[in-house]
This record gives sequence, structure tokens and C-alpha cells, in this order.
Amino acid sequence: MRDLADLRDGAVSALSRLTAAGQDIVVMVADSTSTSKIAAFLDAYPDRVINVGIAEQNMVGMAAGLALGGHIVFTANAAPFLVGRANEQVKNDVCYSATNVKMLGLNAGVAYGPLASTHHAIDDISIMSGFGNVQIFAPCDDVEVAQIVAYAASVDGPVYIRLDNAKFPVVHDAHYRFRPGRPDVLIDGREVAVIALGSVVGEALDACERLQQEGANPTLVNLSSLRPLDQDELARIVADHDAVVTVEEHSLHGGIGATLALLMARRQLHRRLTTLGITEGEFARYGTRQGIRRHYRIDADGIAHAVRAALAG
Amino acid sequence: MDNPFKQSGQSLHRRAQEIRKKICIMNAAAKSGHTGGDMSEADILAALYFHVLRYSVRADGSVGWQDQFILSKGHGVGGLYCCFAELGWLDDAELKTYLRDDSRLPGHPVRQKMPAWITVNTGGLGHGLPIAAGLALARRRRAAPPQDVPARVFVLTGDGELEEGSNWEAAMAAAHFGLANLVVIVDRNRLQLADFTHNIMDVDPLDRKFHAFGFDVHDTNGNDADAIWKLIESLDYANGKPKVVIAHTIKGRGVSFMENVPAWHHKFPDEAQLKQALTELDHA
Repeated sequence: MRDLADLRDGAVSALSRLTAAGQDIVVMVADSTSTSKIAAFLDAYPDRVINVGIAEQNMVGMAAGLALGGHIVFTANAAPFLVGRANEQVKNDVCYSATNVKMLGLNAGVAYGPLASTHHAIDDISIMSGFGNVQIFAPCDDVEVAQIVAYAASVDGPVYIRLDNAKFPVVHDAHYRFRPGRPDVLIDGREVAVIALGSVVGEALDACERLQQEGANPTLVNLSSLRPLDQDELARIVADHDAVVTVEEHSLHGGIGATLALLMARRQLHRRLTTLGITEGEFARYGTRQGIRRHYRIDADGIAHAVRAALAG
Repeated sequence: MDNPFKQSGQSLHRRAQEIRKKICIMNAAAKSGHTGGDMSEADILAALYFHVLRYSVRADGSVGWQDQFILSKGHGVGGLYCCFAELGWLDDAELKTYLRDDSRLPGHPVRQKMPAWITVNTGGLGHGLPIAAGLALARRRRAAPPQDVPARVFVLTGDGELEEGSNWEAAMAAAHFGLANLVVIVDRNRLQLADFTHNIMDVDPLDRKFHAFGFDVHDTNGNDADAIWKLIESLDYANGKPKVVIAHTIKGRGVSFMENVPAWHHKFPDEAQLKQALTELDHA
């Protein structure tokens, strides 16, 4: 049984470490101090947290201004209100203007399950991917998120990091080194490659371990670095397998399934592709998160089923 | 650090008129441009760049800014380019590349094109004020007390632009954070794309709205460069309140057939109109 950890704890402890090491970090929230679990950082650095109230457009606009004034700015609020409400500020003030703002998209996917679609963010990767200048990451555990936050602080320019409010299995050990662009191979197997996005890497890992008990040996890739993305490396992984199964708690429009489909078409990699995610053109169902995952077959059962089907050809 | 020009009176007025002439010539050549709004803001830009803003131009042409400026009404970039030309930063030949493929002069400000002079990319309305508030907050955080006059941040908005709600989110925050070094200048020409603001969506009473949001509110003749700099220099930058200068202007100011005519929002002069415009601007 793996340890479970909250991605936000990894992010916030990284912010504290970086600030203690002298980085000029400012965290902006939109009444989202609890959403971001920022308390430890706020206690240590009260003058480095700026709360603009329930005003996401202003949060992102002011973040751009603070960055122009020399700060490394992290925004921390719920992903639906970041990419939805503040969409044009993200586009113009951060991405187009290339300001040094790092956007934490909290509780993305269907993390807010029963609160329904106003609070779901199943389009954040798709929307961010449409903008220029922004790097996009979706870490799968607290080890990885801490390294991605440190990387984001070290590079000049816009970064989006997809986060969550649930505890996820810790799949990386202390030796893990995040490398921007690299598909992170968690299990180096054969025949079928399961490629999973952030919040459902744990589900995919469960599925793969069950399949191993059945005698199969699927590869598992944590696709945490979406931009940059080493297309050659990803193509090599695809080419080494007979089938690919993508898994994401995101719309199938503009997510990693679409990324793989485009890559495979462009490179004429004729492999079976199964894309698991939230049906395009729909709002996600509401309900418990596990129920939603079961419905869209992005839970361990659904993933294992898809891999068996892919193996059966 | 101070403004390198500190001009006033007739010499400052001539700067504004020369900016206007360049606007007419540039937009006639481009056969496009937001002529009306470029013309209404000319005195405000002249007052800022030739008297108010504290900056130094280094030997290599780069600029060290103490005060900073954001053009929130990004469509008024033509006026800004012509102000840069009047400063000697752009030559008149380059103004002819306005709106041309891959030139340094797109139809809205792009900082990547002119990193020394343009603070941030604007064009979508209601963006400048939140960014300026963030920058003013950063400037105050950076200030090493005791400091006589903190680094100031000026943002020029249109008046129709104030219909965007994001401005009022930022106004609330600017007062909440006590951003006394933030100066919002409203180019109150009373016209927006389709018609007069009071016919489309009345932004009045603008003074009372800003007052209610916690601003230090001032009115001035926005087509009198001396009046503008005198007001800005008289403001109390230690009173804990963000400032707003409601600059009453005339859209198309300086050319008789453009003044207060909605069609000149996005219209360029033809050859005969250009000739008449230049004559009028030379004699006023």
C-alpha cells in the first residue's frame, strides 16, 4: 500500500522552501486560502500572500502587474474560476504579455464532484493549450509537484500547474527527478502503453498492478509535462507497443487522448488507440468523484477493462 | 530621477499638436487607425511623457523607468507611437509601418515589439487597471522607506472601457490596499465605438462612483496639458488613496471635422482631409 499525499501540501511546502532560500515569491488568492491549503506559508510569510477577495479577473491582472514589478507570482485558486472567469486575463495579461506568473489550477477535473459542472474544470488543459507562451504541467504526486513548482519558479514566464484537493498515492521516491518535456515512465512493460494524466495516474497504477497479477505487463506513463513535451520520446514509446490507452479526468476534446491521436496521425504510427476521459461535447455528470470516474471508465476497473480489450485486439 | 523634459506652456502644447499631426499622417498612410481616440489622448500623453513621468534614457537608448505607464485603452496605441516619435524614439519613416505585416507597430501595444517602452500588452478592455494596481503594489513593496515620492504607476483608460466590470474589481482592491501611488487617468471623451456613452451605457456619475470606491477623485480639462501635469503634481501621494483624474476630452480634438463625430472612432483622413487637419493643427 502506497502512502497518500495531497498535491497542495507538496506545492505549499515547496513555496515555503523556495521563499526561505531567498526567492521573491508572492502568492495571490481569491478568497481561496483554504482551497489552496496555504496556511503554513501564510503563517511564515503573511506579507507574501495577497488576497483580492472573490475577484478572479483582478487576481490574475494584479498578478501580471506584481510580476512586472519583479516578483515571482503564484496564483492559487480553483481551476474552473481561473480558466473560466479570468480567461482573458490569463490569455492577455499572463500568456500573451509573457509575465512571470505561475498559475495553480486547484481542484481541477471533477474534484468538486457533487458540486457539479460550475465547479468542474474538465477543459483547463484544452484551454491553456490554446494559448501561446505558457508551459503546462499536471503532476501526479506530491514529490513531483514540489519539483514542478521549483522548476516553475526558476524559469521566467507563464506556467500552468493542474492541482487537486484529494490525496493521491505517492508513486515517486526521493530519487525521482522531474525533467520538463519527458514522459515519465512508471512501469516499463510491453504490448500496451497506458498513458495517464495527473489525477488518474493512481487509478492507472492500480489497474496495471491488477493486470500484472493476471500475467499482463502493461507500460504506464505519467504524462505530467504537457508543454514542453518531447514528441520524439513519446512517439518512441508508442512505437514500442501494439496499443495505447490514454486516461484523463478531462474532456476528450483537447486533452491527452487528443494529443496522442494527433501525434500518432502525424507520425503515421498505426497502433490501436483507446481514449478514456469525459465524453466530448458534454458537461461531466455530477456525483461522487469515484462515481463519476466509474461512469467514464477512468477508474481502475475501467482502465483495466480497456487494457484487456486492447490486449485482445 | 525626474522627467528629462519638464516642458510646460506653449512648448508642451506644441508637443501635443505635433503628436496629433503625426497621428493624422500615420493613419492616412495606414488607411486605418483609431483616429478619434488617438487625438483625444494627445495632451494627456504629452503631459505624461514631457513633464510628469520620471525616467532616464540611457546612452544605448534603453529607458530606466521610475514611474511607469500603462495604456489600458490599447486601441489608442497610435497616439502612443506618435508620442514615442515626438520623443525621438521612433522616426517618422517607421510610423509609416503602422499596421503593416510584422512591423514593430501593431494595432495594439505589444511589449515584445518594444520592450524598453511598452509595459504590457493591452487591447482587450478592462485589463490595464488591474495590472496597474498589481504594479503599484509591487512598487510600494519594493520602496525602501523613507522615500519622498514613491514610484508612481499611471494607467490611461477610456471612458466606455469603464463599462467592463474588471475595472471595478481593481478599483475596490486599489482602495483596499491603499495604493496611493496609483493614478488612473480616464480619457473622458464621452464617445465609444457605437455612440455617446450616455446613449449606450451611462458611466456617470463617474466621480461619485470612484469616490464611493475609495478613490481620491479629481477632474480636469484633459485637452490642456498644463492643467493635467499641474493637477498630477499637486496630488497627495501619502494619503493612502488611489487617485483618479477624470480628464474631460474631446474625441478627435484639434481637427474641426473630427471633433465629437462618432464615425472618427475608427476612420482615417483622406488626402484633402489630411491637408486641412495639418493646417488646423499648425494654427492652434
